Amino acid sequence: MAANRQGSRGLWTLLTGPVVWAVHFLVCYIGTAIFCARAGDPEADLAPVRLGIGAITLVALAVIAFVGIEADRRSGPGLVFECPHDEDTVRERRQFLGYATLLLAGVSFIATLLVALPALVIPSCR
Amino acid sequence: MSGEHDAADRAHREAQAERLLAAWRTPTGWRYWSAVNNSEVGAWYTVAAFVFFLFAGVLALLVRVQLAVPSNDFLSADVYNQAFTLHGTVMMFLFAVPIFEAFSILILPQILASRDLPFPRLSAYGFWSFVIGGVFVCGSIFFGAAPDAGWFMYPPLTTDLEQSGIGTDIWLLGLSFIEVASIAAAIELIVGVLKCRPPGMRINFMPLYAWYVLVVGGMILFAFPPLIAGDLLFEMERAFDWPFFDPERGGDPLLWQHLFWIFGHPEVYIIFLPAIALVAMIVPTFAQRPIFGYSWVVLAAVGTGFLSFGLWVHHMYATGLPAISIGFFSAASEAVVIPTGVQIFVFIATLLTGRVIFSTPLLFIAGALAIFLIGGLTGVMVALAPFDWQAHDTYFVVAHLHYVLIGGMLFPIVAGFYYYFPLVTGKKLSDRLGRTAFWLMFSGFNIAFLPMHLTGLRGMPRRVFTYPEGLGWDTLNMVSTVGAFIFAAGILVVLLDVIRPKRRQPYAERNPWNAGTLEWLCEMPGKPWGVRSIPLVTSRYPLWEQANFVRDVDEGRFFLPDAEEGERETLVTSVLDAEGVQCLRVPGPTFLTMAAAVFTGGVFIFATYHWYAATAVSGVLALASIIAWLWTGTAVIPEKDEKHIGHGRTLPLYMSGPRSVGWWAMCITMIGDMTAFFSLVFTYFFFWTVNPSFPPEAAPGPGVLWPAVALAMLIGAWALTTMARRWNARDRVLSLRAGLALAIVLAAASMGALVFGVRGTGLDPTASSYGATVWVLILWLAAHVAVGSVMQAYCIARSMAGKLTGKWDIEIRNVSLYWHFLAFTAAATTAVIALFPLVD
Amino acid sequence: MLNRTRNRALHRTGCWAGYCWTLLLCAGCAGPQSALAPGGAESEQVLGLLRVMVVGGAVIAALVGGVAVHAARSNRENQEKLGRALIIGGGVVVPAFALAALLVWSLPMMTAFRAPGDGLRIEVSGEQWWWRVRYWPEGAETPIETANLIVLPAGERTEIVLDSPDVIHSFWIPALAGKVDMIPGRRTRLVVEPQEPAELRGQCAEFCGTSHALMSFPVEVVPAAAFAGWLEREAAHAAAAEPGPAEAGAELFSALGCGGCHNVRGTGADGVIGPDLTHFASRPSIGAGTLPNEPEALRLWLATTGKVKPDVMMPSFGMLGAPELDALIAYLAGLR
Repeated sequence: MAANRQGSRGLWTLLTGPVVWAVHFLVCYIGTAIFCARAGDPEADLAPVRLGIGAITLVALAVIAFVGIEADRRSGPGLVFECPHDEDTVRERRQFLGYATLLLAGVSFIATLLVALPALVIPSCR
Repeated sequence: MSGEHDAADRAHREAQAERLLAAWRTPTGWRYWSAVNNSEVGAWYTVAAFVFFLFAGVLALLVRVQLAVPSNDFLSADVYNQAFTLHGTVMMFLFAVPIFEAFSILILPQILASRDLPFPRLSAYGFWSFVIGGVFVCGSIFFGAAPDAGWFMYPPLTTDLEQSGIGTDIWLLGLSFIEVASIAAAIELIVGVLKCRPPGMRINFMPLYAWYVLVVGGMILFAFPPLIAGDLLFEMERAFDWPFFDPERGGDPLLWQHLFWIFGHPEVYIIFLPAIALVAMIVPTFAQRPIFGYSWVVLAAVGTGFLSFGLWVHHMYATGLPAISIGFFSAASEAVVIPTGVQIFVFIATLLTGRVIFSTPLLFIAGALAIFLIGGLTGVMVALAPFDWQAHDTYFVVAHLHYVLIGGMLFPIVAGFYYYFPLVTGKKLSDRLGRTAFWLMFSGFNIAFLPMHLTGLRGMPRRVFTYPEGLGWDTLNMVSTVGAFIFAAGILVVLLDVIRPKRRQPYAERNPWNAGTLEWLCEMPGKPWGVRSIPLVTSRYPLWEQANFVRDVDEGRFFLPDAEEGERETLVTSVLDAEGVQCLRVPGPTFLTMAAAVFTGGVFIFATYHWYAATAVSGVLALASIIAWLWTGTAVIPEKDEKHIGHGRTLPLYMSGPRSVGWWAMCITMIGDMTAFFSLVFTYFFFWTVNPSFPPEAAPGPGVLWPAVALAMLIGAWALTTMARRWNARDRVLSLRAGLALAIVLAAASMGALVFGVRGTGLDPTASSYGATVWVLILWLAAHVAVGSVMQAYCIARSMAGKLTGKWDIEIRNVSLYWHFLAFTAAATTAVIALFPLVD
Repeated sequence: MLNRTRNRALHRTGCWAGYCWTLLLCAGCAGPQSALAPGGAESEQVLGLLRVMVVGGAVIAALVGGVAVHAARSNRENQEKLGRALIIGGGVVVPAFALAALLVWSLPMMTAFRAPGDGLRIEVSGEQWWWRVRYWPEGAETPIETANLIVLPAGERTEIVLDSPDVIHSFWIPALAGKVDMIPGRRTRLVVEPQEPAELRGQCAEFCGTSHALMSFPVEVVPAAAFAGWLEREAAHAAAAEPGPAEAGAELFSALGCGGCHNVRGTGADGVIGPDLTHFASRPSIGAGTLPNEPEALRLWLATTGKVKPDVMMPSFGMLGAPELDALIAYLAGLR
């Protein structure tokens, strides 16, 4: 029972990486859209927005990295190919969830970096 | 001594099997159509989806004949525009999504050894709604009344009542049915995968098909509702002139594009992922080893599901948005390649590390991956806006989308046909015909669509009923047309293989492909009970890894081998480790769901023709049939508290609250509902962003007074409902009934105050997009309050009939849950329409 | 069994590759509306991007295809390390870097393509199913209006401002640049930089109603020095009708009420609902690129307008007799 209750959280924790990516994405897009719409002028300087995006990107990456490292701890030793987490024990099930969380954190990390790229290379609202 | 024991044991088991068979028997004669079991509903669904596929395919062939030569007059412009619009609409809404729903209904219970889905009547309702809507939409072209402005029907063209006639309303109608069917499917799949697994099937033992459809179920909850919201706005503009998309009154055509594509992009992944799920089931079988990289596939499914929601503006690159905004979507569109690619490499690695057996399903999968790879590479190209500015709305995109859809969905589905046909009918399809079909389809497809990349880059736009000669498109189009017919011939061969009489063909051997997952417990031909007994699972591939597994299942040595009370029973288990939680009784055959679908259909169809009296009558009958369905089939009080399920275990027969499947269904529905509500709130803030002043200077607002009064009364109704649940739990029956009755009165008064109060301020929904948006939020809330009051009245009735008591309280708990969401909706609506103008 | 699989797969790959190459070679033969025959700064850069992506894509397709074929036929043991490398390398590492590189290359292109023009501004309004074109030379206070033809100076950046009063259209000259939608209620812009004098073609690229397929336009890129002269001639009033059938045609034009929709500067015809006809005869096509501007085509257009362009707003004049049509045609042919 206790294992289950702690574990139910495990299924939601699986999604933390992608959720952080999604929130980061929405904040970047909505923030920029409102700024450019309100500014009116396409040559408006995006510096405040770009700095803001830089800051929240660092925060998002930190959170995702934290989630990933936590998950790595939970997932036991070795890469998944050596131990495919298919033994019939609660421990293996927890390790599977940990590993899956780690993988999702990894892809979320890369995706967050990619989404932040436009703020790096595009200077205006044009 | 042991001989007698064996004989007694065998007799006992045979008696069990007979009772089980009787409980799960398929009805015969005309009653056959009242079946709700997944085998029947799934089969009908598959056939219907395939028929719509063939219909849309014929439309495509007509399109290709018209385009075979320049300045052709085979089809007039008007008929052509209907043909291509209906081709896209039927393929996307009546085939691509429904076929996955159909397949899942058919095989998911087998894959999870659960005998049926948790809500069989809901699936049946979804199916009948789908068929009615589909026939209506497809039939429209025979009356020249098909939609004709592209499958996405952009306003203002489609809100212009002179240029967009009844076809547009029929399109909206068809969509409404599909939306209903899809939400129903999402509920079934999420609850089915998380709560109805066999004991011991931990979350890391779940077959990958289950993971994929779980993700897709979740995606449906967040993708379809924005379309539902958009459809509501669309219909309000067409029917009542509420100017959501009319720029002269503060509306914006781009709003539709955002809402449609927030649905439209995840939609194509909703189409793709369940098909790739079939690949994930088939490849291990023919590599004769477990999947290599199970966790990576989970990563791929969940990752793709999430990232696909960040792509939608890549359909709008040409609308003049700021480059940086476009850039975010360009980046996300590229990012999604990573999880998509990972699963392909998992399949390749599985083949690499296994011992591959050639087979027809594997051949189709090879073709699928080859074609999908090309589609993925062109996808990487069009994800970059500078290139897309050339390729958008040209035949290059037509090529790209067909490569990903036919490679990523159609070929895997055909592979799934060849693989799972014995599961459904007990007989195999023909390898020879399969191979012929494959080569015709593969070569025909590439001959048709590969040239289109060039055609598009040479300047041919989409959706053109003809083109002049001399632009370099003539030969390319002729080649594409020839290829299309070769492809069609391949489809025809598959069709022939499926429908040819197989009476003389012997049944396939059991588990003909020597696969490892539970669906292959099925006997050839299958029995209606799904599995003889629900197994205890201790591995990912039980048929390969658990000793004596099949024999133990057959001899009823696991759970629920019997149906002593003649009821249809399956198990509800916990989410992570599939420990038994409840013995769930699921309903048997009924015509109620068909009736409910017919009357719901009537509501939409009569409304399309503006026959409002008939609409109202149909609505009342729909409500009546749904209530009858709920009354007779749900929250049934069992004759005893618990039941022995085998191996000395007992489980409760009745559960209410967060551990019951009904509560989950309500919760899941409301999550979808919230997404639609948030889409309407998005509409308000979208207008606020793009309009220089929103609310407009002159507009009278809804004010603060009436919304606040309404909210206060509604919170009162909510509080009473919450208390009612507690009173009921203490068997204070009168408090329950009085409390709910008072809540109904308060709710009605609240909506009265809101509607009449705001009307009094003079806010006109036809004068500006502001008025329209505020009123649509009010309308949404009022409709939900009405439904909530019907639910409260239902609880009162159930209590008075003695079916809702302190111990048996599913109804009030689910209704209370609904009211929590409703209270939130009311608070949010008030904040947006009454408070936001104050702070702005 | 396995050999057949392999041979089949290789055979299939080979055929396919040959087919692709043949098609790619045909990419050399392009027309006036082809993105593969660029004549502008933007389309040139995009073609460069495309070439890299096609080559890269072909390499990836060949590699992945080859690996897949090898995977299917290989029966070797202990392939787990290679399998793992494929998933991590092929699925994550290589795409992450390749996609990041593509983004870093392509994202700044958007801003560069939208850099302001050199001075000339053209307003184009997409109307079902023709193009209203207004030239605003730098410093001009009133525009020079024409229809269904775009003339551009070579070697200069020209800003095109786009809108629509009715439904969404899209303005696309593939040889010069990407497309931009024309959305009611919004003004969007496209900047083109044609490099050499050329005769090109553009077309509407967003479904806009029954005759969407018949909404295109010729584009003439002229030497910058010649452009000013062209603009001056375009601004001038219509040539007076010559004696004979053309004069009769002018009277008929007025009597039939054509001036209610069409504008012919210097005459009484001042309608704004339809295309400006002041210099109609100097345009290469009629009906927004539907038919060539020749007498017989013009006869077909006037007599059976609705059949040539379904649902068009202009009524047909099939009730006119042959001499009357001749007169009209003569008059219109004189509007150079």
